[in-house]
Amino acid sequence: QETVLRMSNWLPPSHPIVRDMMIPWAEKLKEASAGRIEVQILDAPLGPPPAHFDLAANGAVDLTFGVHGYTPGRFTLTEIAEMPFLADTSESLSVAFWRVFESDLAQAEEHRGTKVLGVFGHGPGLLFTKGKPVSPLSDLSGAKIRVAGNITNKLAEAMDMVSIQAPSPQSYEILSGGIADGIFFPVESVPFFKLETLVDKALRVPGGLYNVSFFFVMNKAKFDSLSDEDKAAIEEVSGEAFSRMAGQAWDAADAAGMDVIGSTVDFHDATEEELATLREKTQPMFDDLAKAYEAKGLDFEVVMGKLKDEIKAVAAE
Amino acid sequence: MAWPIGMALLLALIFAGVPIAFAMTAVGLIGVVSIVGWHPALAMLGQVFFDSGRSYTLSVVPLFLLMGNLVVQSGVAGDLYAAANAWLRHRKGGLAMATIVACGGFSSVCGSSLATTATMARISLPAMRKYGYSDRLAASSIAAGGTLGILIPPSVILVIYGILTQQNIGKLFLAGLLPGLIGVIGYMIAVRLSLVVYSEHLETQPKLPLIDRIRALRGVVWALALFVFVLGGIYMGVFTATEAAGMGAGGAFLLTFMRGRLTLRATLSTLFDTAKTTAVMFFILFGALYFLNYVNFSGLTGDLRNWINAFGVGPYPVIFMIVLIYLVLGCLLESISMITLTVPILFPIVTGLGFDPIWFGIFVVIATELSFITPPIGMNVFVMRTVAPDIPLERIFAGILPFVALDVVRLALLIALPAMALLIPNSM
Amino acid sequence: MAASSERIAMRARRWLRLATAVLCGAFLVALTLVTVVDVIGRYLLSSPLPGAAEYTEILLMAIVFVGLPAVCLDDGHVSVDLLTAGLKGVAERIQLNLARLVVAVVLGLVSWQLWNHGAQLDSYNEVTVYLRAPLGPFAKATAVIAGVCAVVTFVMAVLRLPKSDGGGV
Ligand code: NA
Ligand code: NA
Repeated sequence: QETVLRMSNWLPPSHPIVRDMMIPWAEKLKEASAGRIEVQILDAPLGPPPAHFDLAANGAVDLTFGVHGYTPGRFTLTEIAEMPFLADTSESLSVAFWRVFESDLAQAEEHRGTKVLGVFGHGPGLLFTKGKPVSPLSDLSGAKIRVAGNITNKLAEAMDMVSIQAPSPQSYEILSGGIADGIFFPVESVPFFKLETLVDKALRVPGGLYNVSFFFVMNKAKFDSLSDEDKAAIEEVSGEAFSRMAGQAWDAADAAGMDVIGSTVDFHDATEEELATLREKTQPMFDDLAKAYEAKGLDFEVVMGKLKDEIKAVAAE
Repeated sequence: MAWPIGMALLLALIFAGVPIAFAMTAVGLIGVVSIVGWHPALAMLGQVFFDSGRSYTLSVVPLFLLMGNLVVQSGVAGDLYAAANAWLRHRKGGLAMATIVACGGFSSVCGSSLATTATMARISLPAMRKYGYSDRLAASSIAAGGTLGILIPPSVILVIYGILTQQNIGKLFLAGLLPGLIGVIGYMIAVRLSLVVYSEHLETQPKLPLIDRIRALRGVVWALALFVFVLGGIYMGVFTATEAAGMGAGGAFLLTFMRGRLTLRATLSTLFDTAKTTAVMFFILFGALYFLNYVNFSGLTGDLRNWINAFGVGPYPVIFMIVLIYLVLGCLLESISMITLTVPILFPIVTGLGFDPIWFGIFVVIATELSFITPPIGMNVFVMRTVAPDIPLERIFAGILPFVALDVVRLALLIALPAMALLIPNSM
Repeated sequence: MAASSERIAMRARRWLRLATAVLCGAFLVALTLVTVVDVIGRYLLSSPLPGAAEYTEILLMAIVFVGLPAVCLDDGHVSVDLLTAGLKGVAERIQLNLARLVVAVVLGLVSWQLWNHGAQLDSYNEVTVYLRAPLGPFAKATAVIAGVCAVVTFVMAVLRLPKSDGGGV
């Protein structure tokens, strides 16, 4: 091979992002480039998770992935994929998210310094609780909930809950001890963080209560330095193709998670009335994001409309 | 720059007396520059020194240090020794055994071995000298007892291990409890052993009346209350291990106040010392993390894994090799840099061999401790010497051999009986 | 001439030490209070301190960097003196001041890059999640302190100041 691309990975090898997205992507790239490009995943991460975007932007590594919300204030437009009620599968959300990113969001250059190889979201987010009823919604008022970032923090606030900040590996500790009554997670994360014996109730809404937006990027200068053939090989396996693969992997991980917790957790699907309440209470989140879009010269309603249309189109495939 | 050259350069700088933190940063920088070039290497410098420190979980480092320092200020550390003395002074080598017990007691409210060693050296060395204990026994029992500081919870090192490996810090703390207790007993046996080996004839003190012995326990109650508050809070899930540090420091403030020792001048001095130690520790951590990035780029981990696979050795020879690695590194580094540099490399290998991640944390801490009291050099012996510069190194090392022997036994026990570490955390 | 500059340096050293002691002390007390208020608030009032984790992170970094000048003034970094402890007189001074120069150069580079990192964070408008506190200025502040420490350590090497006893406040 001629080119080795280094990747910094901050997740354990068994995580779906590594096992079902990054490693398969590297294999596909090797094939597409006829063996010219090899991806080397470093033995240990080069920094904490929030540092990863800069590691790629500054060229310390060639490739990395991460969560947009870990560096608040920097990526405001991508929060659109984290809003409530969007999509029932990760695949539909991720593919639609990529299409909208390419057509509208990329021009704001929030990812400067990198070549964006993919954007994606996990499966629909739920609210899991330990012994705390999730219906009627008023019972949740005052509940202490571990939040995952800006959007879930606002969501907790909108639902009159108290947000608890803690790193996700501490989820077990804070739930088992009763420091938190519940947690925002997709189905996959419950068994991943070994919470299946702790949580027993879940609130589910069509399209998910929230989501988390991820990026997969390459150092821009490194990409530009490659031959046209190599660039083409990377583009062939990235973009929509990658985002679709990521979405399918999350959906499979959610299905596997459901096998573990499906019978032990009591899933409550929000009633029409509860949905109306949630829609009303979360409206300020949409208004806030619309302002952030305006600040970067984009029309939120238009982009949101496109995103929803694309989600429908992908879901109907 | 190939990693053997980097390692040699690091060694040279450290032996030339360049502070460990800056030696690691300098060599790491040269190494990373040689692999990815100037711009990314320099940018990573800014990132490591800012992003790694801004960690919620790491806040336990200053808070557990503060807790220990306040316990010293409150006078409870001195009371611990007095109490241990009251119960043990009439036995052979009683003052040295009391030192061990007091070290264990102080470790239960202090997160660092160096602080435990330094504190106990100031308190118990004068007493032992007064009653004719040889420097050999006095200094070695303090240096050995001090190692309990990072095993008996709370422990700054177990927190860093937990962060590096994403393990539950509360469980790590509880796992250190039993091996720590066994350590206390082992070191007491070592005291008796050294009396025999060096045929020291010490006059024993007259036995105190029971009422005096009970009265001496008053100081212990304070330390015990603080320990139970912190560990109990974690065990019952009232607060997280991270929060336990803040609660413990708060409790130590209260304790110092209730004992009438919370004067402005003394408190300012305690806070200042804590902040300085914190800065020193974090720059070591930053330097180690930066150097680790160079190690990561240089492919050392892969080479190590390939060797292990090539030799096709089983799990126990690997564990034995790791002990040897720690004994060598312990001559160069202190605990934070040792844990930060080695754990990310060894953890995947060891857990891949089927060892429990919590168990490995305790194993690593005991191996680290062991390296600090084995010749030719070790951190605890250095600290001992800053307090008592007149004691030659050779004499401390001569005295420490029985303690090292008992440490080796403890390590073998831990390997043979993993339940020693896992029993308590698994009941959580 | 050399003697008076040394005296000024010694006095500066004393004042800097007192100032850092007061500042670090306040930060440490605040750090303790943040957790205590957060935990007590959670149980007694069912309302934890909003943004407690972020106050903690910021205070932690403040303690690390504000404590650094005092460490530099005392030559208080951890080092191994097995081979150097035997040096006396001129050899001892040369060793001490060469080590200080390495520290000064590394700190200078760190300072420069912390500043760049701060500028990068500024350019992205990066803030903390809950408090929305901007991170760029904060990184730049750590850069300034690291820079001051680099200069102080350099001056100590050039003036060949003796090692301080590292005493209290
Ligand atoms: Na301890
Ligand atoms: Na050693």
